[in-house]
Amino acid sequence: MIQETRAMLEFADDPKQIELATYRKNGGYDAFEKALKEMSPDDVTQEVLKSGLRGRGGAGFPTGRKWQFVPKGNDKPKYIAVNADESEPGTCKDRVIMEQDPHQMLEGTLLAAYAVGATTAYIYIRGEFQKSIRIVEDAIDEARAANLIGKNILGTDFSCDIWVHPGAGAYICGEETALLTSLEGNRGYPRIKPPFPAVEGLWRCPTVVNNVETMACVTQILRRGGDWFAGLGCEGSTGTRLFCLSGHLKRPGVYELECSTDFTLRDVIEQIGGGTLSGAPIQGVMPGGSSFPVLRADELDCGFDIESVAKAGSSLGSGAIMVFDDTVNVRDVVLNISEFYSHESCGQCTPCREGSDWVRRMLKKFQTDGPDEGDIATLMDVTDKMDGTTICALAVAIVWPVQSFLKKYPEAFAEKVTA
Amino acid sequence: MSGNESKFSSELVAKVNELWKRYPHKKAALIPAMHLIQAERDGWFSDETVADTAALFGLPDMHVRGVVGFYDMFHSEPVGRHVVRLCKTLSCKLRGADGLIQHVNERYGVKNGETTQDGCFTFKHFECLGHCANAPMMLVDDEKHLDLTADKLDSVLGGLS
Ligand SMILES: Cc1cc2nc3c(=O)[nH]c(=O)nc-3n(C[C@H](O)[C@H](O)[C@H](O)COP(=O)(O)O)c2cc1C
Repeated sequence: MIQETRAMLEFADDPKQIELATYRKNGGYDAFEKALKEMSPDDVTQEVLKSGLRGRGGAGFPTGRKWQFVPKGNDKPKYIAVNADESEPGTCKDRVIMEQDPHQMLEGTLLAAYAVGATTAYIYIRGEFQKSIRIVEDAIDEARAANLIGKNILGTDFSCDIWVHPGAGAYICGEETALLTSLEGNRGYPRIKPPFPAVEGLWRCPTVVNNVETMACVTQILRRGGDWFAGLGCEGSTGTRLFCLSGHLKRPGVYELECSTDFTLRDVIEQIGGGTLSGAPIQGVMPGGSSFPVLRADELDCGFDIESVAKAGSSLGSGAIMVFDDTVNVRDVVLNISEFYSHESCGQCTPCREGSDWVRRMLKKFQTDGPDEGDIATLMDVTDKMDGTTICALAVAIVWPVQSFLKKYPEAFAEKVTA
Repeated sequence: MSGNESKFSSELVAKVNELWKRYPHKKAALIPAMHLIQAERDGWFSDETVADTAALFGLPDMHVRGVVGFYDMFHSEPVGRHVVRLCKTLSCKLRGADGLIQHVNERYGVKNGETTQDGCFTFKHFECLGHCANAPMMLVDDEKHLDLTADKLDSVLGGLS
């Protein structure tokens, strides 16, 4: 049986873990203190590189490498922006860290700031997460009072402030450049990359954007060692990772698991998720949020790691595994997904703004009337033209799932033949 | 308007002054401040509130109006005493969100975006609210209600005044 490996969630069930005293008693901030007093900033980055940590926000970019892109020297202030916008459908894990072990995220943020020489960090928390906002703000206040945040931390010459910055309800602000535009006080429009935020981010200064869970992993790595982290999971998917299991499952939840090529995605769905609640057969799975292609029930025997799921034609994305059984109509599922993206398109690029809504309307027609002859080819053509023609990846986040549903469930999208 | 006589309460202005200290540019405090402003101005941005906000920040009205329009949590029309946001995205849909939406339509007589006749609450369908493993769910103002059923929903909405 697959078991959870609890590192990030080791103390998450203790309601007192959100308090500084308990966090410290459980070893919290020891790694940060040690880094400040015994390690150079570059040592911290090296430890993270050694761990093989890849970002947990969805794109899986190596965290240590991202930090190395930050220019050395002090011509400009440097910033950290922690991505706590958590709005990819199916994703509900960063909130668990913020509500149950907020200092773990703050410690990782301080370590990142020390590594790259940042003097201010903002935690961009989606506005709907009022409970997270309250808990993280209280944690910051406690840490500041204990001189773990602020000027000359623990008597050293390292200073760093941390502030919570609430969003106000817009999925696009999870995209890293939109997050920065939003943080600066604007509508959340993505920016063209390059320049990447690590070189030119907030107010055109170098800015590291990392996900909440990535920061929690950084804490674990500096606490237990890069080698320890690299020894968990498997090549390319080291460490432990929070997976959000949802949909038609018996045991939906957030679980901390190691990736492995020794068991399969299906094993995780069955052993951790308990299989489907109704006992009905699985019809499909979105293995990493709704932005990637769907996997059919006969495609779930791939290994449970980034590489294997990519080979199976999808992505572990943000760790959000959504399962639907055969009691639901796939036309309803893909329509629901398209409604999300057409609502959340920021409106900046024409192919996405117009295309996402056109796709939604087409799928609405399919839901009620079914496709007419030629509709599928037109839909494929339109979505092809949305792919790669926009500033950010929101457009492909509608193209990939929609095209995959049309291809993988052809019986549900059979065209009416006109005589 | 002269610099030191804001149309907002002195408590709010004091809080915005604190927010400004967190950023190298005042404009960055706009969205955090707009949450406070919306709460002080009955939960929505009238033309007057937009203008007052713009004046406080030294920004064009149009900029503030654009921000109100962009973010789902800001309202450009009056709302009820409470705002009920029911998640309708995939994980919640698979666990019965459509049925709950229909239940609210029928029992309380409000569709997406509408306010009950007594002004008690405004009902909104929302996209993913990040509680997918406890679906379906809703937010009533700042409070979340998880693993919802029609009965649970009624006991929460029935208790609002
Ligand atoms: C449309 C879109 C939405 C995104 N939403 C989120 C999000 O809610 N949270 C997140 O951490 N990353 C999100 N990302 C990924 C970020 O752009 C970025 O890759 C990530 O924050 C980097 O952090 P990491 O390297 O620690 O993963 C999104 C990307 C796109 C294209």
